Amino acid sequence: MKNNKFLWILVLVISVALVILPLVLFLPFDKTDKVDPWANVPNRPTHTDHTNLISGTFETGQEVTQACLECHPETAGQVMSTAHWTWESKPIEVPGRDEPVTVGKKNQINNFCIGIQGNWQKCVTCHAGYGWEDETFHETATEDQVDCLVCHAGVGTYAKGDYGLPLEGIDLTIAAQSVGVPTRQNCGSCHFNGGGGNAVKHGDLDESLYWPSASLDVHMGEHNFQCIDCHQTEDHNIKGRSISVSLDNENQVYCTDCHSTNMHEDERLNAHLDTVACQTCHIPQFALEDPTKVEWRWSEAGQDIGDDPHVYLKIKGSFVYASDVQPQYLWYNGVADRYLLGDPIAAEGPTAINYPKGDINDPTAKIMPFKVHVADQIYDTVNNYLIQPKTVGEGGYWTEFDWQLAATLGSQITGLPYSGSYGFTETIMFWPTTHMVQPVSEALQCTACHSEDGRLDWLALGYPGDPIEWGSRFENGN
Amino acid sequence: MRPSIKHHTRKLALILMSAGAILFSLALTAGHAAAQTPLHPTFPFLDKEGGNVLDSGKPVSTMQTCGQCHDTGFIASHSFHADAGLSSATNAGSTSTGRPWDTSEGLYGKWNPITYGEPVDGTNDLTWLQTIGLRHVGGGPAQAAGVEMNCFLCHLNSPDNDLRIEMLEAGRFEWANTATLADSGIVSYTAGNYEYNREAFDENGELRTAFLSIQDPANQNCGQCHGTVHMDQTPLVLTDCEDTGWETATTGIVFAAQMLTNTGMNLKNKTELTRAHDIHVERLVECTDCHFSINNPIYAISGTDSLDNLQFDPRRLDMGEYLFQPVHQFARGQSAQGSIAPELKDSMRRCESCHVVDETHDWLPYAEKHMEAIHCETCHIPQMYSPALQQVDWTVVQVDGSSQTTCRGVEGKTGTINDLVTGFNPALLQRKNIDGSIKLAPYNLITAWYWVYGNPQQPVPQEVLQAVYLDGDDYRQEIIAALDSNNNGQLERDELALDTAEKAALIAAELEALGINNPQIWAEVQPYSINHNVADAGWAIQDCETCHTDESQLAVPVQLASYVPGGVIPNFISGTNTIANGRIYTDKNGALFYQTALDKNSTYIFGHHNVSWIDWLGAAMILGVLGGISVHGGIRAYSARKQAKHQPELKKIFMYSFYERIWHWLQTLTILILAFTGLVIHKPEMFGIFQFKGVVLVHNIMAAILVANAALALLYNLLSGDIKRFIPEPKGFFNQSIIQAKYYLSGIFKNEHHPFEKTRENRLNPLQQVTYFMVLNVLLPLQTITGILMWGAQRWPEISNRLGGLPRLAPFHTLISWSFVAFIILHVYLTTTGHTPLAGIKSMIVGWDEVEVHLSEPESTEEE
Repeated sequence: MKNNKFLWILVLVISVALVILPLVLFLPFDKTDKVDPWANVPNRPTHTDHTNLISGTFETGQEVTQACLECHPETAGQVMSTAHWTWESKPIEVPGRDEPVTVGKKNQINNFCIGIQGNWQKCVTCHAGYGWEDETFHETATEDQVDCLVCHAGVGTYAKGDYGLPLEGIDLTIAAQSVGVPTRQNCGSCHFNGGGGNAVKHGDLDESLYWPSASLDVHMGEHNFQCIDCHQTEDHNIKGRSISVSLDNENQVYCTDCHSTNMHEDERLNAHLDTVACQTCHIPQFALEDPTKVEWRWSEAGQDIGDDPHVYLKIKGSFVYASDVQPQYLWYNGVADRYLLGDPIAAEGPTAINYPKGDINDPTAKIMPFKVHVADQIYDTVNNYLIQPKTVGEGGYWTEFDWQLAATLGSQITGLPYSGSYGFTETIMFWPTTHMVQPVSEALQCTACHSEDGRLDWLALGYPGDPIEWGSRFENGN
Repeated sequence: MRPSIKHHTRKLALILMSAGAILFSLALTAGHAAAQTPLHPTFPFLDKEGGNVLDSGKPVSTMQTCGQCHDTGFIASHSFHADAGLSSATNAGSTSTGRPWDTSEGLYGKWNPITYGEPVDGTNDLTWLQTIGLRHVGGGPAQAAGVEMNCFLCHLNSPDNDLRIEMLEAGRFEWANTATLADSGIVSYTAGNYEYNREAFDENGELRTAFLSIQDPANQNCGQCHGTVHMDQTPLVLTDCEDTGWETATTGIVFAAQMLTNTGMNLKNKTELTRAHDIHVERLVECTDCHFSINNPIYAISGTDSLDNLQFDPRRLDMGEYLFQPVHQFARGQSAQGSIAPELKDSMRRCESCHVVDETHDWLPYAEKHMEAIHCETCHIPQMYSPALQQVDWTVVQVDGSSQTTCRGVEGKTGTINDLVTGFNPALLQRKNIDGSIKLAPYNLITAWYWVYGNPQQPVPQEVLQAVYLDGDDYRQEIIAALDSNNNGQLERDELALDTAEKAALIAAELEALGINNPQIWAEVQPYSINHNVADAGWAIQDCETCHTDESQLAVPVQLASYVPGGVIPNFISGTNTIANGRIYTDKNGALFYQTALDKNSTYIFGHHNVSWIDWLGAAMILGVLGGISVHGGIRAYSARKQAKHQPELKKIFMYSFYERIWHWLQTLTILILAFTGLVIHKPEMFGIFQFKGVVLVHNIMAAILVANAALALLYNLLSGDIKRFIPEPKGFFNQSIIQAKYYLSGIFKNEHHPFEKTRENRLNPLQQVTYFMVLNVLLPLQTITGILMWGAQRWPEISNRLGGLPRLAPFHTLISWSFVAFIILHVYLTTTGHTPLAGIKSMIVGWDEVEVHLSEPESTEEE
């Protein structure tokens, strides 16, 4: 032994093993799936200060874009291939339809301001481009018509007006010099104002998120998230999907992008995750601060009974706003049935613009909270479909208060024949409640659903009764 | 392929079948809608004579009405709720409580100083029914007054308990049960008269289904008598411990699913309390799920369930049989105060009957040991979040005739929302279970003082007390004069107390003046079991330090009272299942405390218990060694200065192989860490920054390394024959030892040579040999074995127990640790006795040593 020169290596190996073995044997290794939610949150590098990089005066937004393109030549092209520019999805095969269809703001309607066709002057205020004046826009638009500033200009330096052009009086030089990574203010200037004003459309997206408290939105309030921390963006393609304008569920943002699927300490809660969306428990209410519109009666428009933006407007009809709204709960597998222009309205009851798909027998569907918006809007009583009226501009309803004219003009633009006879029919629209995630102390408790006056209508969801007693849809008890 | 006729027929059949299926499912859906209404059939309400109350206008008889289908006689006679101790009534003074005036183990006959009232002696049943008996369900002792067992109180969706109580208090006993129906629209009560609502009945005189609200008892039903039940999401408000219901007042338990963050209470730190009062209520476990009727076939625990060859006995009552004769004896645990129906103790499923315990506690060291010694509740009910009674002082009377009552778990005494509810940690007492096991369980301790008189003693009647203290709506002038400490002419809350012997004597004299013979103040501590308000794992006690420190939660003094009325020190009431052999003492402010005594001979708690003589001996050993080496080193230094520098002839030899050095330093490291972590485990309160659990883990890992390293070294020494160096040679051993000792004691100071030459083959002097022999062959094995046995107490408890278990092993392990530490100090000192102080240490690092040459020998030729 003593003659072996390499004995010391053996000794060293044995000694090291002596130390490591007990460590391995004794140290508890956490077997639960621990995912660091911060791992997926991007580090925001400090944005290059453009103050000294941009000089000169700009007369138009297009000139600003040209300046941007000098250094970032590929960006306009990227934007022009995204939904923020096209306002229309790629053609998608939908069960029950013969040909692939596209949907988007560009060609479809909702039950707020109905549709943009013929109404570009006002509606495209929120389009990430300049000068969308008619249906030929996307064929003729040039790269410098991409609006860089709406997403990149600093807070309070920029605003858009008719046809998406910068508002008069905006100092484009200052706006251009202030550019940075998009903030909540950039995204919110359009997304918090969907439907024609703050908090109108979503219920879970409104201007209260500019300065949110932790109890309003734990991500933005407590952790100061920006929209793009979750809606991560590559080559100007921003992650995220909404069933109001999408037919597929590609490129969607999920809670589980950052959070583990079995993160609850409690096994019983984790067992819910196959059936219940995170949002169901963690967003018990929406419209916590700013009331959201839950009802819109176009049929009552045109009266001179005094305007109040939250109750009645002559141009739009009557509204109902609500705050602290408890969502409605439906099965949802990530996609929805979309009403397309020309589809017949429902034979009975309201016509759903985007009824969420999924039911208790669909293993991919989960119970998800929704804001349900009820409206009545104009339809063709002979052809039995919804009409996209012209509201904005010459001959539009908002100036003439003449539905007949608005319907006729709208028909000329959309190409959808109008019989000359109109009425009003009820439509409903569903908005997944997915923002305003509240702190864990506000999350729903068992009794919120599993009690006599619980939130979930078990029979309507397809259960024989409360699954706590009747059993769940999966054999494993979830 | 051409479609055949057969094919067509099949298609048609398919269409017809699917149409049928749709119709069938529609019918099913309709059936579901109907199932929304209760299954309970409708029925007429009958009076005592069996006539329809619509005709007679008489009170409803539950026995007759419900007896149309159910065996109400059987139910009433199989219900400890109805019996309330009547059937076990006995002579005064012979019950388990030991109170000379108690006559039963139930609400009827078991006096309680919290509610006071008159002792039951068989002559005052109506008084009982109108005071204590307001929480009684009827039947049993109330039967004599015509109050039948009140089915409605527990089985109605919205019973009118207030009106029921009003009827009892008004002496309108026969209407008490009918009054319970007043909220259900069946009967209306106006201007003292009951009128049946004919709208609620059909033409046959039977109740219409719309008015039928019979149900299994819901939590709210139980809560009417048992405590605060709050099932909705409106913020719950509790401000003090009075009027919160019996269990809530006595234990602080609240049956509510509400998240504490949303409570309406002025609760300390509530924004952080993201838990409900009780996890079971939060998870929709109802009272009756655990406290079920014992012959309910759904829940029943059959005797044969415990047979070795059976897990479940399917031979059960049919539903019909059960519904005809549902035993109204409900499964129960074994709470301290529940002395009624002892045969039902522990008849319910306990925590571990439903919960998997082993797998969920695999993180817990000594899981089995823990579960042998403590009930689940001890860790899983760490904190109560509402006030509960602490002190009930009936030696005085407030102007409203009530006692002076103090709550625990609340700061401030206004009884309003302005008081801060802090909640409280339950007192932990050992509980003797009916299976003979003794485990720690949580309690609230309520101490009461009250006057008794006569022989045999009786509590002084309340009227007499009031006569002593009160004059109309205020205190008597004499009382104010005697008790008004601040002389403002008024008695404030804090002044109303017999906190001196003079005050007590004055009241005693006043009582005697009113004909009360031999008045004395008695005092008793009542332990109330806390079994609800359970927390899930996230809120349960998981910190070892909660118990494993000097200030262990297990032995923390619990305040019993803020003052001691009449100076009377209370005793624990007998007949409870607690082992209350702790210490009751007053502090310098006059407040009274109870400190649980945990016997370390039966329960040895690491970090809390220690055997003090061992620690003193250890300290003495270490001080002795330190003292010895200080003196020795001092003289060495002194003599070295006085004498010419000793310059021995040196030669370099290779002393320690690579393996030996690695071994030595690895042992050094592990022993040092073991000694330190051991000290932390022994005295955790001195090392607050360390996490006990982590320290134990490190200790175990280091011990494993040490033992493996030692075993490997033994193998190495055996195989290489080096073991000989450690074995003292008998021949000349004593002589040589004496020579070596002499050297250390004198020669070393005189610059003499080391008496024995240090060589690689013979590097240990005789004293070293004997020391190492002892250390390696006695201390190390003993320490290893005791350590393994302590660690193994959770795996092979029987081996540890045979050697006295932890109470013996742990102190012994400590003793050897002290010896080790003393050895190490000496060992390190002796390494400095080479030709230079650091020579020894250096040689153990580099392997080469410079040794004194005594005789010329060939130099070692060894190379590393």
